[in-house]
Amino acid sequence: MTWAAVCRIGQEEIKKRFAQSLFHHFNMLRWNTILFLLLMMVHPSQADVNLKEVSASDILSAVAEYKGEKAVLVNYWATWCGPCVEEFPMIVHLAEQFADDAIILFVSTDWLDAKQRVIEFLQKQGVTGLSLIKNQNDNEFIDSISREWSGALPFTIVYDKNTGNVVDFWEGKQPEKRFFYAIEKAISEGNQR
Amino acid sequence: MKNSLLWILLLMLTAVVSAGELEIGSDIPMADMKMPDVSGKTVSLNDARGENGLLVIFSCNTCPWVDKWEDRYITISQKFQIEGVGTIAINSNENTRKRGDSLDDMMKRANKAKYDFYYTMDEESKLASAFGATRTPHIYLFNNEGKLVYRGAIDDNAKKAEKVKNPYLIDAFEAMISGKEIKTTSTKALGCGIKFASN
Repeated sequence: MTWAAVCRIGQEEIKKRFAQSLFHHFNMLRWNTILFLLLMMVHPSQADVNLKEVSASDILSAVAEYKGEKAVLVNYWATWCGPCVEEFPMIVHLAEQFADDAIILFVSTDWLDAKQRVIEFLQKQGVTGLSLIKNQNDNEFIDSISREWSGALPFTIVYDKNTGNVVDFWEGKQPEKRFFYAIEKAISEGNQR
Repeated sequence: MKNSLLWILLLMLTAVVSAGELEIGSDIPMADMKMPDVSGKTVSLNDARGENGLLVIFSCNTCPWVDKWEDRYITISQKFQIEGVGTIAINSNENTRKRGDSLDDMMKRANKAKYDFYYTMDEESKLASAFGATRTPHIYLFNNEGKLVYRGAIDDNAKKAEKVKNPYLIDAFEAMISGKEIKTTSTKALGCGIKFASN
């Protein structure tokens, strides 16, 4: 066999191996893509929402942790509550607007077997990170959060930045102004001290 | 200045809204006010009252919590009826009359769920305001003298009647009928806010 023939066979072998390699990579890429898409379908970026079960005392502890740092607004809502769903995007917008001075905690009061529905709703609203869902008997939960809360939803309560005391609360859907002034009050009163 | 005025107005509104619920021991408010009933008649709380008392349920057609608790409405009303306690459900959702809470919608609901008690329309949410009722379902139980003896939730499990641990209303009713002291006279539960005309 001549050197030229050896080289030709060598080149053909290289081309063949290159083609095999390309096919292999394409195959891997294809399966990775399919796997990724399947995961997306089954589990649509749930890592973005961390839905934690909480009791009233867990919530009050979380609120206390922000004392001296940020005002806290806690919104109690449910996916089945029309007025809650209506005001939700506005509250999300306020959370972004006041991010430096106030924290907004959403507490779902849906039944625990509706967690998936809650997560999907939060994702749709662009809420990421920690979110909360009630895991306690209504009667104890409501009174522990506020003696003034009758249980009607939505319910919103605002805590002062500096003292952690309740600045304002209300039942039912309210306009953005109501939320805005309550947060402003919770921040400014905190700053005065 | 404008903001301060608005703030004061909001605080005043909160004070009005949370003016408080009917106190235990109170008389039946607006007991003679006639309301349109799903039967086509007009009915007052006094008409619905039995010789041994009255159960008032603030309810509606458009609340998931009512959907869950509704399976207990009829069994409770029948149990109460035997002991001479009348039952009336009241729809005070003035702001959603065109969205599922009209008298016509109420008739359909009563027919479908086979209500065997009055289901009346509280025009302009007058009764809800007089009771200080805020949500649906919201329960008020009056004794044979027309005094409030229990207010709040039906029980502690809207979703599953068979998993109820504390049947608050039944406990209060049984104590009332047997002349015993009612241990828990006031409870709370999550529910849909009543859609008052001003909402």
